[in-house]
Amino acid sequence: QQQIAQVPKPLFLSQPFVRTALVKGSFKTIVVLPKYVDMGEWLALNAFEFFTYLNLFYGIISDFCTPQTCPSMSAGPGIDYTWLDMSKKQIRLPASTYIDYVLTWTSSKLNDQTLFPTKAGVPFPLHFPMTLQNIFKQMFRIFAHIYYNHFETVVHLSMEAHWNSFFAHFISFSKEFELLDARDTEPLRELIESFEAQGKV
Amino acid sequence: MFERNAESLPKITLERAAAAKMKLENFYQLNVSHAVERNQRRVELESRLANERGSEERKHRQLQNLGKKESTFLRLRRTRLALDDFHTVKVIGKGAFGEVRLVQKKDTGKIYAMKTLLKSEMFKKDQLAHVKAERDVLAGSDSPWVVSLYYSFQDAHYLYLIMEFLPGGDLMTMLIKYDTFSEDITRFYMAECVLAIEAIHKLGFIHRDIKPDNILIDKDGHIKLSDFGLSTGFHKTHDSNYYKNLLEKNPSTGPPRNSVMVDAIHLTISNRSQIQTWRKSRRLMAYSTVGTPDYIAPEIFIHQGYGQECDWWSLGAIMFECLIGWPPFCSETPTDTYRKILAWPETLYFPEEIHLSHEAEDLIRRLLTSAENRLGRGGADEIKAHPFFDGVDWDSIREFNAPFIPKLSSITDTSYFPTEDLENIPDAPEISAANEAVAAATNNSEETELSKESMPFIGYTYSRFDYLTRKNAL
Ligand SMILES: Nc1ncnc2c1ncn2[C@@H]1O[C@H](COP(=O)(O)OP(=O)(O)OP(=O)(O)O)[C@@H](O)[C@H]1O
Repeated sequence: QQQIAQVPKPLFLSQPFVRTALVKGSFKTIVVLPKYVDMGEWLALNAFEFFTYLNLFYGIISDFCTPQTCPSMSAGPGIDYTWLDMSKKQIRLPASTYIDYVLTWTSSKLNDQTLFPTKAGVPFPLHFPMTLQNIFKQMFRIFAHIYYNHFETVVHLSMEAHWNSFFAHFISFSKEFELLDARDTEPLRELIESFEAQGKV
Repeated sequence: MFERNAESLPKITLERAAAAKMKLENFYQLNVSHAVERNQRRVELESRLANERGSEERKHRQLQNLGKKESTFLRLRRTRLALDDFHTVKVIGKGAFGEVRLVQKKDTGKIYAMKTLLKSEMFKKDQLAHVKAERDVLAGSDSPWVVSLYYSFQDAHYLYLIMEFLPGGDLMTMLIKYDTFSEDITRFYMAECVLAIEAIHKLGFIHRDIKPDNILIDKDGHIKLSDFGLSTGFHKTHDSNYYKNLLEKNPSTGPPRNSVMVDAIHLTISNRSQIQTWRKSRRLMAYSTVGTPDYIAPEIFIHQGYGQECDWWSLGAIMFECLIGWPPFCSETPTDTYRKILAWPETLYFPEEIHLSHEAEDLIRRLLTSAENRLGRGGADEIKAHPFFDGVDWDSIREFNAPFIPKLSSITDTSYFPTEDLENIPDAPEISAANEAVAAATNNSEETELSKESMPFIGYTYSRFDYLTRKNAL
C-alpha cells in the first residue's frame, strides 16, 4: 500500500509544469459558438485546426517515439489502446504505428468532401457529429500518449507551455460541444481537473 | 527535480520545436483577433439595426446574412485551394519566375489575379521565412495602396498567390503607350506613389525594387503597388557580386568611364524609333531573370546597408522616365546601367531638348542623389512639401478622378495588358519546366530537405474577414 502511494506523480502533474501555460485566461471565449454562425462550420474548422497542430507537435516528438521506446499505444498505468483492424479485431500496435494510423485516418476524413465539404453550397452530412466524436476521441489518445511517455522531451524542448495550452484548448472545445465523454478522458482526468481549477477550461 | 536539458536533443528537433512554437503563438494571436473582430462586427450590426426602423423580419435576415458570411469565411479557412479550383481566363503578365493570370474561381465565379512562383527558384535563396512573415503582414495590412492578397497555396512546384485583379494594367504598359506624361499627369502618379511608398514604410517594409511594372492601375485609374512580400529581392539578383561577375565575364564592354558617357549622349537623341526599340527590350527585360536595375538605388549595390530612402531614389528614376521617356541610367545592358548608377554624379543628365519645369528637375535631382542628402530621408513629408507638389490634396487624392480611367467592357476585360505578347504561355503553369527545375535543385541534398519541409512550412493563408467581404472576395 505504502509503496503504491509513493509512486511519483507523472512529470506533467508536478509543479511547476502543471501550471505552465502559453495562453492566459479561459479558453471559453474562443471556443463558444459565435452567434449566428453555422455550427457545422465552427466544428469543422476547429477540428481541422486541432488536427493541424497536433500533427505538427507529434511530428517533432515522432523521432523519439519508436517501437522500442513505445511498443504499445500506452497512456499511463494500465492503459493500452488497441486498434480495430479490418475484421474488427482488436490489435496492439507500437504507439508510432498506432498514431500514424490515426493521423492518416483523420487526415483522410478531413479531406473527404462528403464529410467536410469545402465547395460553396455543399452541406455537412447527417452523421457529421458522430464522425467528429470519433476524431476527437482518437486525437485525445495522442495527447494522452505524449503526456505519459514524451512529456520529458516536451520539457527539454521548452514546449510545455505551448503543449499545455493547446491541450487545454482542445479539452475546452470538447467540453463545450460534448465531443468526448468522461470515459474517454479518464487517463488525463487529474490534469483536466487541475486545468478546471485553474480556470483554463 | 527534473532537469531541462536541450543539449541532449538533435539540432533539427530543436529547430522544428522553435518553428512549431512560433506557429502556435501565431495561431493563438490570430484566433483571439478573429474572435474579437467577429464580435465587433456582430455588435456593430446589432446596434445599427437597433437604431434603424424596418421590420423585425428584415433585421433578422440581415443578422442571418452576417452569420452566413462568417460561416463562409470559416469554411474558406479550412479549404485547401488548389489550381483546379480556378479556371484561367487569360495570361496577363509575366515576371521572372512565373506568370500572372486572370482567373475565375469555379464555384463562386469570382475574378482574381493569380501569380505563380516557381518554388525551386525560391528555395535557392534562403528567404522563405522572411518572405512569409512579410506576406502575412501584407495580407492583413489593408492599405489602399497595396494590392490585396486574398489567399495563397502551393503544390509541389509552385506557390500561388490569389490577389485582387487590377484591370488597368501597370505603369510600364502605360508608358509604353504614351511615351511621356505631362507634368500634371506625372504629378498625379508621383503623388500617389509617394503615399503608397509612405504606407509600406509605415508597415515597416522597404520595397527596394519599385519600378513601373510594379505600379498597378485599379479600375478607377488609381495606383497600387504589386504584392512585394514575395516578389522582391529573392528571385532577381540585385547584389553587387552578380554585377561584378558580369563585369568580369564581359570585358568587351570596355572601361566604365567611356561607355558611360557614350551611352548617355547616345540616348539624348530623342529619336522616337530608338525609344521604341528601348521600350520593346524593356518589356523583355521585365520577363527575364536578370531584371532591370534601372530604378535601383546605388547604395543597394554596394552593400553598405540601406534604409527606406532607397525607395525614394526609385521614385526619382520613375519620375524622370515619366517626363523624359526613358529612365535616367538606361543603357544597352544591365551591366552598363549598373555602372552608370554607381557613377550617378557624372551620368545623371537631363537632355536639353526636353523642357522640364524648374520644380520637376529639382525634385528629381533631390531624389537621385546620395542617400545622406536625399529628400525623404526624414520621412515622406519632406517630399510632399516640395514645390513640385504644390496644390496636391494629399488627404483625398485617391477619391478624385484619375487622369486615365480604364474603359472596361466587363469584369474580365484584359485590354490593358499585353496579352498578345503572352499568347504562347500555357493557360496552366507548366509542370515540365517545373520538374526540370526541381530536378536541378534536388542535385543538392540540402535543397531536397528544404522542399520536403516546404509543405507544412508555408501552408496556405487567408486574408482577414473584413478584408475579404469589403472587397467582395467572399
Ligand atoms: N493583381 C494584379 N492585377 C493585374 N495585373 C497584375 C497583378 N499583379 C501583377 N500583374 C501584372 O503582371 C505583371 C508582372 O507581375 P509582377 O511585377 O508582380 O511579377 P514579377 O515581375 O514576377 O515580380 P517582380 O516585381 O519582382 O519583377 C505586372 O507588371 C502586371 O502587369
